Amino acid sequence: MVIECENITHYYGNRLIYKNLNFSVEKGKILGLLGKNGTGKTTIINILNGYLKPREGNCRLLGEETNRLSPDTKARIGLLLEGHIQHSYFNVRQIEQYYSRFFPRWQSNEYWRLLEKLQVTKTQKINSMSCGQRSQVALGLLFAQNPDLLILDDFSMGLDPGYRRLFVESLKEFTASGEKTVFLTSHIIQDMEMLIDDCIILDYGKILLHMPADTLMNQHPGKTLENIFIELTGKY
Amino acid sequence: MYKSLIYKEWIKTRSTITLLAAVFLAAGIYSFMKTGEEIRLTGMISFWDTLIQKGINFFTYYKYMPLSLGILTAITQYIPEIQQKRLKLTLHLPMPETRIIITMLLYGLAVTIIFSVITIAVLLSGLSVSFPREIIRLTFWFILPWFLASPAGYLLAAWIIIEPKPHIRILCAVPSAAAMSFFFFNAKAGAMQPFIIYLAIFTIILILFPLYSITRFKEGK
Repeated sequence: MVIECENITHYYGNRLIYKNLNFSVEKGKILGLLGKNGTGKTTIINILNGYLKPREGNCRLLGEETNRLSPDTKARIGLLLEGHIQHSYFNVRQIEQYYSRFFPRWQSNEYWRLLEKLQVTKTQKINSMSCGQRSQVALGLLFAQNPDLLILDDFSMGLDPGYRRLFVESLKEFTASGEKTVFLTSHIIQDMEMLIDDCIILDYGKILLHMPADTLMNQHPGKTLENIFIELTGKY
Repeated sequence: MYKSLIYKEWIKTRSTITLLAAVFLAAGIYSFMKTGEEIRLTGMISFWDTLIQKGINFFTYYKYMPLSLGILTAITQYIPEIQQKRLKLTLHLPMPETRIIITMLLYGLAVTIIFSVITIAVLLSGLSVSFPREIIRLTFWFILPWFLASPAGYLLAAWIIIEPKPHIRILCAVPSAAAMSFFFFNAKAGAMQPFIIYLAIFTIILILFPLYSITRFKEGK
């Protein structure tokens, strides 16, 4: 298993977020985490990244505890923060040079291949780019890192339909070999539908379901993933 | 990898460092011009007399500048990391987290120490042209606490900025301001000399404070 979470219980103050949450993700799978606002999607991402210590339970990424990942394991995990956040004081070339020295499997050509599709110069600062362009820089850096596991928090956030499509297609191409594992969340379920093998639907405090996306779709013939999600979790 | 981390810190701070270098240079030139003017107006003997009897210092313009340097360096280094939680990206680099933070802190400390050493050296060398060794020695001990305030202020500012909870930041700022006041006692020249060692030890201990903030950040406090 690439991701294993056992008996995760977490509270913010006295408010219960989850109790005894269990899930795992196999190698080569793309898992989509769906849930309404406030169900704790970002909390799970933070626990997986090692930036939140749950009250109880533990999570392992590539066999290591998430809050004690070794440098070698970190190099195998690609992280996309909500809003495609990057070090925006760098320009396009500087940021590639910066990251390239950290990651042993760095593939510069993957970054530049993606950047060629954008109308940007190598000296353009990231903070002067549109959200869509920044998303491509962030994705290009992830591809260049060549990680075994990608954790993408709300990858559609702030993107127009064109950039969403570009992001999804680039990601599909990158994961086509079946060797990469992806854990992602998004507010736009249509985008996830094009990508995911498995899905987890979160409700307040618990996992409502965790199953292969195909099985879920077959159980609800003629319905989109979005319709199934609304049916299972209620409109509001 | 260390080179890359230092490169990132340089990109963030280079404008601030350039600006501060210009301000320090201007203050130095102004101090020397002002001292020269005083000597021309009152004569060297009268000026020496005033200096020794009243304990006047040449470089009062510099009093809070090293502290401002420390705080500004911390702001330019750590505010971009805290904004939108970019620190997550930095801590996710394939290096032990403590080493990443220590490297960033050492960079900032190096900036404050290099500025301080150069400034003190230039000021005292300038003085040595017209004044005896005793006055230069007294001036050195008089201004040294101000320059020690630079790394101390830097470390306290880093501690406060990295602290994840806004209300705790305010709680941290109050004792920090109180602690910094120890560096600015209006004592006669040389009176602070026995305390310098304690101020230096205090500054070294302060390295632990930003590391504590990082631990809290990692735990999602």
